[in-house]
Amino acid sequence: MARYGMALDYKNCINCKACEVACKEENGVELGAEKHRIWVGGNNPDGQWPLLDIASAAFMPSQCQHCEDAPCQEVCPTHATYYDENHVVRVDSDKCILCSYCMNACPYDARYVDDRTMTVDKCTFCSDTRLARGETTTACQNTCPTKVRTFGDLDDPNSEISELLRTRDHFSLKAHLGTNPKLFYLT
Amino acid sequence: MQVEVSRRKFLQGSVALSIVGGSSVGVTNLLAGPDEHKSAQSGIPSTITTKTSTKKAEDIPYLCGICVNKCAGFARVEDGIVTKLNPNPYFPKSRNMLCARGNAGIQTMYDPDRLKYPMVRIGERGDGKYKRVTWEEAYEAILNGTDKFKGIKQILDEEKDNRATIAYCNGEGLSKEGFEVLVGEKIGSPNYVDEISICLETTLGGYVNTIGTYGEADLNNADYLICAGANRAEAIITPDTMDMFKRSKGRGLKTIVLDPRFTNTAAKADRWYAINPGTDLAFVLALTYVVLTEELYDKDFATKHMDGFEDYKQHIISKNYTPEWAAKITNIPAKEIVKTAREFMAARSPIYYQGRRSVFSKNDFQLRRAMAIFQGLSGNLDKKGGIVYGKKLALPKEEINAPMYAQVEERFDTEGIAIPSLKTGSWIVLRNMVLEGKNPYPLRAMFMRKHNPMSGVPNTKKTEAFLKKMDLNVMIDILPSDTTMFADVILPEASYLERTSPVASYGGLEPAIVQRRAAVKPLFETKVPEEIYRELAEKLSKPLWEITQKYDEDVQDDIKGMSAEEIEKYYKQNGFDLAEPWEKPVHEQNEEKIVEAFGKKAWEILNEKGVYYPNIEEYHQELNPNEFQYYPENKKHYSTQGDKLKVKCNLTNLTKKGVDSMPTWHDDMAFSVPAGKFRLVTGRHAQFTQSGTTNNMMLRDLIPTNYIWINNQKCEEMGIEFGDKVEVKSSIGKVTIMAYPTNKIAPNQIFMLHGFGGSSEQMEMAYGNGANDALIIEDKIEPVYGAAVMHETNVEIRKV
Repeated sequence: MARYGMALDYKNCINCKACEVACKEENGVELGAEKHRIWVGGNNPDGQWPLLDIASAAFMPSQCQHCEDAPCQEVCPTHATYYDENHVVRVDSDKCILCSYCMNACPYDARYVDDRTMTVDKCTFCSDTRLARGETTTACQNTCPTKVRTFGDLDDPNSEISELLRTRDHFSLKAHLGTNPKLFYLT
Repeated sequence: MQVEVSRRKFLQGSVALSIVGGSSVGVTNLLAGPDEHKSAQSGIPSTITTKTSTKKAEDIPYLCGICVNKCAGFARVEDGIVTKLNPNPYFPKSRNMLCARGNAGIQTMYDPDRLKYPMVRIGERGDGKYKRVTWEEAYEAILNGTDKFKGIKQILDEEKDNRATIAYCNGEGLSKEGFEVLVGEKIGSPNYVDEISICLETTLGGYVNTIGTYGEADLNNADYLICAGANRAEAIITPDTMDMFKRSKGRGLKTIVLDPRFTNTAAKADRWYAINPGTDLAFVLALTYVVLTEELYDKDFATKHMDGFEDYKQHIISKNYTPEWAAKITNIPAKEIVKTAREFMAARSPIYYQGRRSVFSKNDFQLRRAMAIFQGLSGNLDKKGGIVYGKKLALPKEEINAPMYAQVEERFDTEGIAIPSLKTGSWIVLRNMVLEGKNPYPLRAMFMRKHNPMSGVPNTKKTEAFLKKMDLNVMIDILPSDTTMFADVILPEASYLERTSPVASYGGLEPAIVQRRAAVKPLFETKVPEEIYRELAEKLSKPLWEITQKYDEDVQDDIKGMSAEEIEKYYKQNGFDLAEPWEKPVHEQNEEKIVEAFGKKAWEILNEKGVYYPNIEEYHQELNPNEFQYYPENKKHYSTQGDKLKVKCNLTNLTKKGVDSMPTWHDDMAFSVPAGKFRLVTGRHAQFTQSGTTNNMMLRDLIPTNYIWINNQKCEEMGIEFGDKVEVKSSIGKVTIMAYPTNKIAPNQIFMLHGFGGSSEQMEMAYGNGANDALIIEDKIEPVYGAAVMHETNVEIRKV
């Protein structure tokens, strides 16, 4: 039993997409440009050449935020979306009827349809692959060249992530929506 | 700060335009080819991405081969299938990471378009018509030819054993040295070209001749960085990329980026200067001018370690390389140049990053010299936080018994080059001299491995003509590249996940020995390169020896009157037995070397961890899941040179070769683009390794094609919108490519990613996708080594 979360040192991110590919290979994610559980968002720099605004061109790694109060779970009519014993937001593909309510409800655009299983798919924190084997990192954390990510148990005060959140300033995406994400962006 | 977090909206103009509808490639594509192969072949996954299971799996240490870096990983193997590649935490160079390409290496191994069995050409060169043959038949075709092409035996007989009539090429990699031994040392060809003359030859040459090494930038401990023309966020180099961006953005490493384009590296910078292409030398000379006139340099270091310092000081000041002078040339304001020079010298540990890339301009050798000297002025060399020399763990040297051929002539690709490289030559000069008939003897055969000059060497049409001129082309590779399609005999190689490679030693601050172990057996009928070398050598050895005996007077004198037995002994003793270096398989050779150098225990560790260095078990520690200690702080090789450390400012011996002894600006180096034209710049992306990965399904999802970057305001003037087809024309050719209007490039420049626009129909994903820049980059060379210059082509563009 744990309460898993992830801290992202997002200023390290160089938009190399190693995380996305590692995730796809680890979890057997369907191929296709729109099929990804994690991605890197960002902006084109503001301004006109050569006076471009560097600060406006930051990269923002994103994915399912594993909300404590997940709108996707709330709207799911078949209870296909559920919180597992480690507070990870999961989807039961046997129950999913592809109504796509969850896709619309998610403020983070974290869900997509897997055309092979006809299920709405999303990040699982590698629960049924790496964690199930007793590993302690997700595929995205492990492979990251600039070490953006730290995954761990928020309930364990001695975990790396707990230490980071105690000592570093951080914020959540769209915090005003009250979804209580378990992804934390370090500043 | 408002940052876009929605799915994949920030795309450098990529997926938004779904030109091929993503890659909804069915599993049926896998293993295209004869049906009997489909059923006969085990070890191929039934789906494209394979979810890892909770079953027991093997983790085999391997070295990535998707680019030059050689990062270390563990391949997860489940029932003979590689399901996942994970980073190896033991290798100090790659620091427990694999990039997107490294992760996608699985898709290269299981690429349905892989070369699966040996093939011999039955059609015309380039038309893709081949016949599947056995390995023996393929070797036989190389030796004796077919009705379509001549064999090596006939060629060497006609050329009276002049081995120089054979040329060969090989891209970088761990098995490259073996190919050099086979075709160079054993078969005896001096005409070798590789990636170096289309890559970083002047960088290496400039640094080695000035400070004695290319060195390693200790970015973990530096506090100020000038990163000019080095796009480390997109052209990933380990460990530099990982170290650089963990402390940028106000977190300890102030980063100044110079690049004509606003790259992902620029996005991580404190300041970005949109420098004019090819004018970095003027920038460095002006920095130097400021530092010398304001006396900001490390005087003690200059006195002790800088040879010719006073000459250089006088040279820079008398030439009046002022910031105002450089501002006009570079497009960087004078006050910014002054500020950067002062900040650099005031920093505790400043680094002018050496960079690592192709040669962009003709002055690149002098640019590298000027950068190295400028680094010297800070005194931040051979110490923590600077450019360090490090150490290398020595491996036993292999003795090659290379035969002497009396009939072999010297290489000739020296036209227009001050310091021709005897080992690797110049691709452009060799090719062009042959096409212009300037070769003193015929060049008749090309032995190629893991190299794609049709994409890599500027002016593809000339490369095609060159290959067509040959009597025999042999290619060893894993994919049917554009160049492979001009081969007469194709020998399919096992990919890097299917082979154990010769052990390698990586020097630096934290030196280590690494070994790539085969994760799975070679797929289809492929073979590991060293096995191919041995078998080919065995096939050629005696017939070529016959030819030597027929024409080589030295050999004839030596063996006169000998019995058959004695001749056989002479043949072996004098190295004419071509296969002798590969008598033992690679893993046995590795074991012998490691046990000899470091003992049995070291061999066990290397086999288990993929990495070895003395005291690894004691030194290596996990600090946290993201950070590892490889060597304790006091064991890192920060300072190794002592009084030997020299910065050579004035290389007077260069003058007699017609090369400036000190970095000097000449007016013809200035950047200028005629009205109505654009300067073409090219480069890399973090999701591709040149043409080598453009057929990779996984990576194609990330960057489906290459676009031409055109300044957005210019596009408005020209009526060009995103996705419009644009014809790009230079003096040597034209390509059609889709437009990406952007504010990230100057109005008189355009950019396109290198490696796209494949012409080989056998590569389904790469064929005809985007544009091949080598079709339009003019084949110009820089004057010192004859390396290809990539950024000196002006083009016209028009909407089509």
